[in-house]
Amino acid sequence: MVALVLCASLFGAGLYVVMTRREIIGLLTGVEMMLGAANVQLVMLGAAVGGTGATIEAAGLMVLVVAAAEAAVGLALLLALYRRSGRSRTDELNEVNG
Amino acid sequence: MTLEVIAFTLAGLLAAGGAVAVLFVREAMRLMIGLGSFLLGVAGLFLYFGLPFLATAQVFVYVGGVLVLMVFAVMVVHRQADDRPVMEVRHDVGAAAVALAVTVTIVACLRSVVGDALPTPGVYSGVLADELLGPKLLVFEMAGALLLTGLVAVLTIREGEDR
Repeated sequence: MVALVLCASLFGAGLYVVMTRREIIGLLTGVEMMLGAANVQLVMLGAAVGGTGATIEAAGLMVLVVAAAEAAVGLALLLALYRRSGRSRTDELNEVNG
Repeated sequence: MTLEVIAFTLAGLLAAGGAVAVLFVREAMRLMIGLGSFLLGVAGLFLYFGLPFLATAQVFVYVGGVLVLMVFAVMVVHRQADDRPVMEVRHDVGAAAVALAVTVTIVACLRSVVGDALPTPGVYSGVLADELLGPKLLVFEMAGALLLTGLVAVLTIREGEDR
């Protein structure tokens, strides 16, 4: 129960970071926190429903790969955006509004 | 107090401390240090749950790869600033309420399923390799394809920037 509350709190903290930071680096940090906390929760769920260690590790590894790919693409977008417009904050990017 | 409880407490404190730092610090490099502490704490939690391979992969991929990449991005983005790179934090009651509601919802939904999750017996890496290259081969190949797609996406973004 303590582990569940800890992981849920870490996920909530990541969500709060995503909602309150304006820099894209800050947003990516929050998303990484949410993915990390969700991965621990997935592992806990796997252990709770009686999954084998290898199965749990395979599932966790998949989430890890998704998170790494997301970070790489997100940072590439940030650098491209910064070199193109000199901006790195979400509230300065109002030209993409509909 | 058993060794397992001490290990869990240390990993939890490391992750929670990193999360608190990410929430409140304003300097970009300190934010990265907070994220590093959080990620190391998560790796410690994986170790606690008896998943040493996942903990090692977490340290190598995140702390050794993603975090270095993010530090590099911070250095590039803030390279023209004369002073130390400062980031704005707008603490908001509404955002805190939403985050708290999500946290409570997760706990309420998973409480009956997870209960007191106990560490799984440790897995020998050979067993994991047999699993990944046997019944889970499709998952393993999908992970590789996803990484390749990410790499192609990054190269495409870079090429589009040059045009």
